[in-house]
Amino acid sequence: MDKTELTPEQSLLLISKTIEETKERFKEYGSIFIFWGTLMVLVFGSQLVLSLLELYKFTMLPVYLFPLGAVFTAIYAWREHKKKNMPKTVIGNVLQNIGWVIGMNLMIMGFLFSDILGDAMGPVFIILLALMIIVSGLSVKFKPLIIGGALLNLIGLGSFFIDRDYHGISLMLGAVVGMIIPGILLNIARRKNNV
Amino acid sequence: MFKDLDPILHSQLRLSIVSILMSVDEANFTFIKDETQATSGNLSIQVKKLQDAGYIEVKKTFKNNYPNTSLSITKKGIEAFENYVNNLKQYINPK
Repeated sequence: MDKTELTPEQSLLLISKTIEETKERFKEYGSIFIFWGTLMVLVFGSQLVLSLLELYKFTMLPVYLFPLGAVFTAIYAWREHKKKNMPKTVIGNVLQNIGWVIGMNLMIMGFLFSDILGDAMGPVFIILLALMIIVSGLSVKFKPLIIGGALLNLIGLGSFFIDRDYHGISLMLGAVVGMIIPGILLNIARRKNNV
Repeated sequence: MFKDLDPILHSQLRLSIVSILMSVDEANFTFIKDETQATSGNLSIQVKKLQDAGYIEVKKTFKNNYPNTSLSITKKGIEAFENYVNNLKQYINPK
């Protein structure tokens, strides 16, 4: 490999290809988006069913799955990082930190301030989530994440105009559009690049 | 022909190593070996040349009782890479 005499064009091509391939590595987090999207559908779907059954005392119970999800995500990310020798990057660190900060705030809001936030809780939750997904998409330059995040943002803004009882449906729809579908597309893109 | 191009960087493997390190904070030896598909021996020689030139920093530590070599680009390495790319552009689009 080292003996090859490079032309300037080949050198530039090698540089851009290497940098691009290294960045592609950061499309390996599709499973985390799918996991959180599915967890959201599960939690908000359960809350909806409990509300329909008028079991209001238990509607907060499914929310406790979120801290468990956070622990699972931390262990999963640590193991993947170790297994695949993933390097540290500025983008990777920024995305990880944004994820944790917004995630923790969403949980604190959900557990402690849902009464204060009242009808705005659902839409604010969705908008913060959309912010995280749009930033992630723009950082790794992945259109499905950007589009999914933008649609999630619109769903969040639109949720201000609908009754609180239906916010669960908005959250589930947002999870599918903004997390599960882009997560699946991320995994497909990663597999294509590995072929 | 390419006398203005930095001879340290104007090698396929060394340029690949520096390009990878330009896009990450730091990377370990195994990651770079996987990405460049170079042999350990060849990679070690090229890493040493880049280290001697002051373009990269090599840190040897232990991770879970296993030796871990992590590489990162230095300020001098970043400047050399930027000069190299600018010179390449001049070759391709001379003005």
